[in-house]
Amino acid sequence: MSVTEKSPLAKGSYEPVAWNFKLLAQHELQGFGGMGEGMSIQIAPDGRRILWLAHESAPKNFTAVDVSDPRKPKVVVQTDLPQPHMRSNSLEITDNIMAVAYQTRKVDLKPAGFELFDISVPENPKSIAFVDCSGAHSRGVHQLWFCDGEYIHMSSGAPDFTPTHPNDDQFYRIFDVRNLSKPTEVGRWWLPGTRVGDSTPPPERHPKPLLDRGNRAHNTNVYPNRPDRCYLAYIDAGMFIMDISDKSNPKPISRWDNSPPCTGFTHTVLPLFDRNLLVVTDESTIDNAADWPKLIWIVDARDEKHLLPISTCPLPGPEGYANRGGRFGAHNIHENTPRPTAWHSDQIVIGTFFNGGLRAYDISNAYQPKEVATFIAPAPSMSPAKSIQMNDVFVDEREIVYTVDRFAGGLYILEMDF
Amino acid sequence: MLELFPSRAAGPFGRRLKHARGARIPVTIVTGFLGAGKTTLVRRFLGTPEGAGTAVVVNEFGAVGIDDALIRSSVDEVALLGNGCLCCTSRTDLQLTLRGLVSEREFGTVPQFRRVLIETSGLADPGPILQTFATDRALGGEFFVEVVTTLVDAVSGLATLDWSAEARKQVILADRLVISKIDLSSEEAIAQLTSRLAALNPRAPIVTAVDGALDPRCLTEAEGTTMPVHAGFVGESAHTDDIHSFVLNEAEPIAWQPFERTMETLIALRGSDLLRVKGFLNVARCRGPVLVQVVQHLAHPPLELASWPDNDRESRLVFITRNIAPKQVTALLQAVRMLATGAST
Repeated sequence: MSVTEKSPLAKGSYEPVAWNFKLLAQHELQGFGGMGEGMSIQIAPDGRRILWLAHESAPKNFTAVDVSDPRKPKVVVQTDLPQPHMRSNSLEITDNIMAVAYQTRKVDLKPAGFELFDISVPENPKSIAFVDCSGAHSRGVHQLWFCDGEYIHMSSGAPDFTPTHPNDDQFYRIFDVRNLSKPTEVGRWWLPGTRVGDSTPPPERHPKPLLDRGNRAHNTNVYPNRPDRCYLAYIDAGMFIMDISDKSNPKPISRWDNSPPCTGFTHTVLPLFDRNLLVVTDESTIDNAADWPKLIWIVDARDEKHLLPISTCPLPGPEGYANRGGRFGAHNIHENTPRPTAWHSDQIVIGTFFNGGLRAYDISNAYQPKEVATFIAPAPSMSPAKSIQMNDVFVDEREIVYTVDRFAGGLYILEMDF
Repeated sequence: MLELFPSRAAGPFGRRLKHARGARIPVTIVTGFLGAGKTTLVRRFLGTPEGAGTAVVVNEFGAVGIDDALIRSSVDEVALLGNGCLCCTSRTDLQLTLRGLVSEREFGTVPQFRRVLIETSGLADPGPILQTFATDRALGGEFFVEVVTTLVDAVSGLATLDWSAEARKQVILADRLVISKIDLSSEEAIAQLTSRLAALNPRAPIVTAVDGALDPRCLTEAEGTTMPVHAGFVGESAHTDDIHSFVLNEAEPIAWQPFERTMETLIALRGSDLLRVKGFLNVARCRGPVLVQVVQHLAHPPLELASWPDNDRESRLVFITRNIAPKQVTALLQAVRMLATGAST
């Protein structure tokens, strides 16, 4: 079915697009279709394929969807957050263990941290452990990475961390979870100058108040190809390749920062090991494309100490999107999650662009990425943005694409056709 | 060129595609002589689900105003070429028109079309139009000619084929042939025409249409375009105009380099006589079939598909040539292969 032909969705003030993506199904997740940036697939012990989704904001915590038949997704379980002032924006799964990030709206609130669940029976997730990361200057955990079953890499505040600026509260932390019931912090790193007491002066801030989003960690990707490296996005401080061969003492190897002249919020760093490339994303965080351009960058990493941006994935200009409602620009990409249930590609990059929809790029020629597929869903009914706000994407090893709306549309399941 | 960032997942021809079109916009070319019923056919097609979202590019030559009015009423967006015959003087305009459509689609100033249909002038030779799509430098990077459908009317078609070389070429280069106006002709005349068409183009399926009523897939799918050609194929056909069509079949995997050198030699020496070469090869060390397309001097970069559609691995390459005999091609290929491997005769 093509969205342009017939769609059960309400139509916004723009024309939906389904170009080389084929929509198989959409699920509004029982009326709680505002989804965050945690998407992971479990093959349950009984053989079902379960997609676990983090919600963007309260009241829901996470939702599990049986996607064994991608044309007939079924909600298996949907859980509530204990407090309305928190969100579980991020989650990851290793086998039958799920880690969920908890972040509070303000500092000094609880619960802020992360929780581990046994999801052997998807209908009944059982809490194994909760790690408290709250503090007078902490909002807890924004994002986590848990792919090897042993360590969780995260962006988090801590009770003993006083930032030099309130926006710099979340830094890179590593927890050993080999004993699931007793997670232990084994290492941390923060941008020098962002913690009170540092000998380095605080970093410069991005000029406009709206664009000062903090010198703090976002995605913390670690892959078995290079277990001694963390590919760390650090919002307004750009990105870092970290040497984590000694997890107790992570050390930066190199840094690349596109801002200024761009407008910050480096979000994800995806290494393409065989090709010596990095795919680096910004996140648009301001409505109406006020922070344009927010892009996906291709970076030459043949020498990991000397990173060189060589291209961007082309987006149409903001003229046709700025007034559609909500944000327009890059955000999440499929991250080649090192799990057997994830698709791995170093030739295709698939990203979400809020009202710019879901877009796939052929980066076979790293110098000339080319858009090969686009999916812009109609504005979900009840969405305050009045437009689609594609927020995150995950592709499973069957090459089925899952993408979510930030406010109301829930889950969209697609096939690639290129 | 030295590849600085090679991917191990790529094949020798780059990213493996799910289908021959890849991510490109499908193009349907409708040819046929004046009065053959092209506009009626196109109008009917646009009313079908398969025809939804089609941008129509019309060549006005010989039918000023009439075709325009009919088609404009049927679709949201029409780009009209105003300067005569599409096949010769307006090739640049075709490029500009199609590039303009893509650009406008991106900016939302034209609807999200998903197919382009080019209705050519009755006098158009499809060869130069196909050339326009033959390379990445022209339109081949963005557009993929999925099917060339040629209409021949049952009343005057036979006579037209006798006197018009352009009409014969339209038939010879078609992927599908449609006999129109069968309700106005006798069974005997239709049989005669069918026989003539089959002689001119033995590989194109022939279907009939009354008042433009036709399975819409005839304008969206072409046997041999999206998948390898299958059994029932006639090996060779010679025509008037010294045009030959033949199929190169090989059961064993083909070494790419000698084949490439052979095609380079053919193109260099006789490019203008290679009217169309198209097919899928089983290339050694490739996972899927490799699509090869040549139109006269222009060869589209080969593309590898991710997988074969079935267990049949035979290479099939259709040649439509002027005054190049199949034996000349096979002898050249054989000679190059022997030179490449150092074998002696």
